[in-house]
Order: sequence, then C-alpha cells, then structure tokens
Amino acid sequence: MKYLGLVLRNLARNVLRTSLTGLGTMILVFVVTLVWSVLAFLDQATQSRSEKIKALVTERWTIPSRMPFSYVNLLKDGAAREPGDIKPIDMMSWTFYGGTTDPKGQDPNKFLFAIGMQPEKIPTMLDDLDQGSLSADDFALLMEGVEKLKKTRNGIILGKDRLKSQEKKIGDLIKITSVNYRGIDLEFEIVGTFPPGRYDSSSIFRIDYFNAAMDSYPKTHGGEAHPSAERSLNLVWLLVPDTASFNKVADQITKSPLFSNPSVKVETSSSSIAVFLEAYRDLLWGARWILSPSILLTLSLIIANAIAISVRERETEFAVMKVLGFRPNQLLILVILEALIVGVTAGFLSSGGTYFLVNDVAGGIPFPIAFFSKFMIPQGALWWGPVVGGLTALAGSLAPALSARSVRVANVFSKVNG
Amino acid sequence: MTQSDTSIQVRVRDVTKTFVRGSEKLQVLDHLSVDIPEGQFLGLMGPSGSGKTTLLNLIAGLDSPDSGSIEIAGAEISKMSESELATWRTRNIGFVFQFYHLLPVLSAFDNVELPLLLLPMSAAQRRQQVMTALHVVGLDDRMHHRPGQLSGGQQQRVGIARAIVTDPAVIVADEPTGDLDAKSASEILDLLVELKSSLNKTIIMVTHDPRAAQRTDSVLFLDKGRLVNEMPAFSSK
Repeated sequence: MKYLGLVLRNLARNVLRTSLTGLGTMILVFVVTLVWSVLAFLDQATQSRSEKIKALVTERWTIPSRMPFSYVNLLKDGAAREPGDIKPIDMMSWTFYGGTTDPKGQDPNKFLFAIGMQPEKIPTMLDDLDQGSLSADDFALLMEGVEKLKKTRNGIILGKDRLKSQEKKIGDLIKITSVNYRGIDLEFEIVGTFPPGRYDSSSIFRIDYFNAAMDSYPKTHGGEAHPSAERSLNLVWLLVPDTASFNKVADQITKSPLFSNPSVKVETSSSSIAVFLEAYRDLLWGARWILSPSILLTLSLIIANAIAISVRERETEFAVMKVLGFRPNQLLILVILEALIVGVTAGFLSSGGTYFLVNDVAGGIPFPIAFFSKFMIPQGALWWGPVVGGLTALAGSLAPALSARSVRVANVFSKVNG
Repeated sequence: MTQSDTSIQVRVRDVTKTFVRGSEKLQVLDHLSVDIPEGQFLGLMGPSGSGKTTLLNLIAGLDSPDSGSIEIAGAEISKMSESELATWRTRNIGFVFQFYHLLPVLSAFDNVELPLLLLPMSAAQRRQQVMTALHVVGLDDRMHHRPGQLSGGQQQRVGIARAIVTDPAVIVADEPTGDLDAKSASEILDLLVELKSSLNKTIIMVTHDPRAAQRTDSVLFLDKGRLVNEMPAFSSK
C-alpha cells in the first residue's frame, strides 16, 4: 500500500501534466469506443447464428423486393408439403409505407417511414425488443403500446425521435399522404412509443389496416386495383430453430412452384445484412484497420512522451532509490504503475462516461449506415476503456521504465556532484 | 591501521578502477588498500579526480572494482550481483548526500521510511524506527513537513535519519556539509560525531573542508588513485 501511495504521490507532483495525459487518453478512448461500438454492432449483426435463425425471404431478382401479399400465408408454413418437411417456429411480414404529414411535401421533418406488420410479433420477432433484452420498465412501456395497437386497428407506435419530428404525443392523430403507395393515405392514432434506443426513429403499424385500405381502393377508383396491390409485401422473416432447419426450409421454399412469379430467395439475416454492408466495406475496413490502430498508436505515444519526460526529470531520484536498496525491477514497476494508473483510470472514466452519455443521455450514436440509424455502446465497452488505456499505457511506458531501471547510480552522482 | 582483524569493518584490498571516456582510459583507483576499523569516523580528502568519491561508491556497493576485493563487516561485496548488492545496501549501508536527495513529494517521515519499505517489517515497526531516527536527529516536530518546507540543515538531518533508520553498520557521506552554511554544517558534524560515539557507527566521509575533516578520527589523503598519506585528525580536535 505504501508503494502504491508513492506511485500516487508521484502522479500528483505535476498535476497539470498528469491531467493532460489523462485527458488525452480519455479523448482517444472515447473515439475508440465509438468506432468499436459501431464495428461490434455490425460484427454481431453479420455473425452467423447457429440457433434461432431468422430466414429472410425476399424477391430474388428485384431491389427493392416487392412480392404479392398472398405470399405471407404461403410462407407461414415454410412451404412444407411433404412428410419430413419443416415448418418455421414463427414468422412476420414487412410492408414499407412511406409518406408525409405535410401534404405539400415541403417539410422534410414531416416525412414518416413506417413498417406494416403483425403487432403481436413486435416482442417476439424484432431484435432487442424481447423481455430478456429490455429492462422491466422498458418492456412494460413497449407492451403497453403493443396491447393498444392490437386493440386499435389504425394504431401506430412511433419512436421517440419520430414523435419529436412530428411534434406529436401519444393519443394524437396523424394523417399520412403516401409517397410509395399513391392514393393510399392513412390516418393513424399514436398508441405508444418504443423504449429509448435502437427504435427511436422507427414506426410500426398494423398491416391489416393497410390491407383494408388497399382492398377498398377499387371502390373509389372505378373498380381498378391499386397499381401496387400485388406488390405490397417487401419481406418475410421466418424463425427456424437451427442451421439444419434453415437449410431445409430454404430448400422447401426455393423449390416450391408457389413462389415462381416472382421467384424468391431465402437467406439468413446476417448474410443479407452483410450484402447491404458491402457498400461500406472500405469505410469499415479503414475504421477497423487504419483508424483504430492509429488512435492506439497515438495514445501510446502521448503516454510515452509524458512518462519519458517524468522519468528524465527524476533520474537523480531513481538513482537515490537505487542507492537506498530499490532493485532495478522495482523502479521499472514504479514507472509502469504510474502509467497504468493514468491509463486505466482515464480509460474507465472515458468508456464509462461514453456508455452513459451515448446510451442514457443521447439515446445512441447517430451514424446512419445501411439500414441502421443509431448505434448503442455495448456493455463490453465498460471494460474496453480500462483495457485499452492500460495496454497503451503499458506499451507507452515500457521504454521510459527501462530507462529508469537502467539508471547508473555512479554516473548520476558524478553529474550532480561535478 | 593497526587494529586487529576482528575490529576491521571495511577492508579494501588492491582495488583498481578505470573509467573510459571516449578513447581515453582514466585509472581512478590504482591498487588501493585500506582498512577501516569498526566505530571509526574517517575522512577522505584529496583533489578533484583523486578517486575519493569512486572509493566511497565502491565501499557502498554502488559500483564494482575492476580488480581487488572489498569486504564490509565480513561480506565480500565486490563479487555480488547488482540485485544482491541492492538488498545488502538496504541493511548495511546508510548514505548521506551533499544535496540531501530527499524525494520532494514525500514528507520527512515518508522519506525516512523509504528504505524500510524494502524490509519485511510491519507498519508499526516501521513507524517506531522512523520516529526513533527522527528523534536522534532532533526533527520529531517536523515529520510531516515536505523537503521544500525545511531548511538545508533540516533536510540534511532528514537525510541522516534516512541513513540510520535501517541501523546500518557503515554510514557513507559524500560532502554532507558542502551545501550548508557554517552553523548548519557544524550541527551536522556534531550529529555525525554523536552517531559514531553513541551508536558506534563506522562513518566514512568525503570532504574538501578542513573544518569538517577536523571532526573525524583520522583522514586519508588520496591523489591519482593512491593513498598518499594517513593521519589522525587535526590536533585542534
């Protein structure tokens, strides 16, 4: 403990230098934490799972995918026909509906992009909205909205940012003039909101409300169906238990004659995300292999510089300590401990502060990439910071520590005494 | 030296030491032999470059001779490794420096305690020994002061307390009064004499100051790495 006290007092001897070194470490750990959070999220999203796999069914040859809504019922059983065929555990459909609450279309903030789906699938199929992923309060908030949505045919759940941009609150009505389904203008009642975080910019409504509007379209348009009536299903998620089941279901669907016009493809969510991310490949490669190492190297150099100056200033002190009986390795450890304390403390404060500020105050990092609009700081960042700070401090302090270790007592005294 | 073998505390035998500066070789000690009895206060004098600080460093185990042997209290130190010497120094040698060399971030108490951190002792034992050492040098009431809050003489007293806190057999002092005014210098010399007489410490002091040399039991004069004269301290003592 006395030794640790000596380390702390050495750090306190030049508070400005220690503070600046710590501040530099905090800033760089902050940047690393942000970059790694995005990369970790994308890694997780593109990582193949071996169980509870989501199979994505989309149109094979056209982007964006637009399939007949009748495919939903056909896909519900995974096109299982023969004995031994496998049915999915669960499924949900996606219909993308875009429009604006400003009919003149002059205010971009009034644009709303919403997903039509089955409300009961929100907590079972959407990522990070299940009971295990949310706090009790957040899950209760979500379920309150979901239950109201089940009871309200024209209900819609809006994320925090969407409520703000529309300047609306729960209970208000909004009328959307559609831009991708011309003539299908829908009036919604806002029945709830999502827990803060990933779904702040999302909007979800009941697909049966949309389908009813689509069905009644001919009544007001001389018996003509809407031009997109047979193209209102964008994608289907099927939940299967494992890789073998996925392969089997994918085989059932792609070989089924029911899905020939248009034909469909089946892939895992991770592989489909990976395809989306191909466009960002160079950017992500640069962040992972150039930006992050450069930051870590800079961090090591900052610490090396500060510690080297400190060691040079204290050369005589180290010599005195050697005279008193301190072994060379004890001096080495003393210097490394000083750097480690600065690095680990600054790293922890930085990553912990980033975690709190980004997740709890800002509600995510606004970094739109592919179809992800915001990224949260993972809990792992709480140990990234101290580890990054500690390891870079160790790397940066090694050379100065070796120099302190090798101080020659006789040389130092001959210099001092002339 | 005429003392019997049993009372010899420091035995230097045929020691040579050469430093290389660029292409030049400087022989600082030239086959030097010295015996220093236990409990003696010895002065080392000589012109600059005569080898007195080098001899002090060798006796203190801070450097190793090129040839010859050095034995302190029966231990042959010239063949010890750096690590062994470090451990040995903590227990057997106390150092007093010209410029005190206290750690500025530590209080007087903590500075004196520093060598004890290397020994297997409880906090209570350490505290007791530090208090005793500070009492011996008369600084009980300044224990919480940092070096910057003490006068030069007081800092040197702390330096002496640090030198004696491990109860070493030998104290080496490199011009301990060189940075002090006459009054403080005299007080420090009084203290060293007291340590020698009351605690029977063997003290080896390098000095250029004849008044300091007067306070020693005997003085060795070195020149060009050789012992040129040995005499009891000046008659006025």
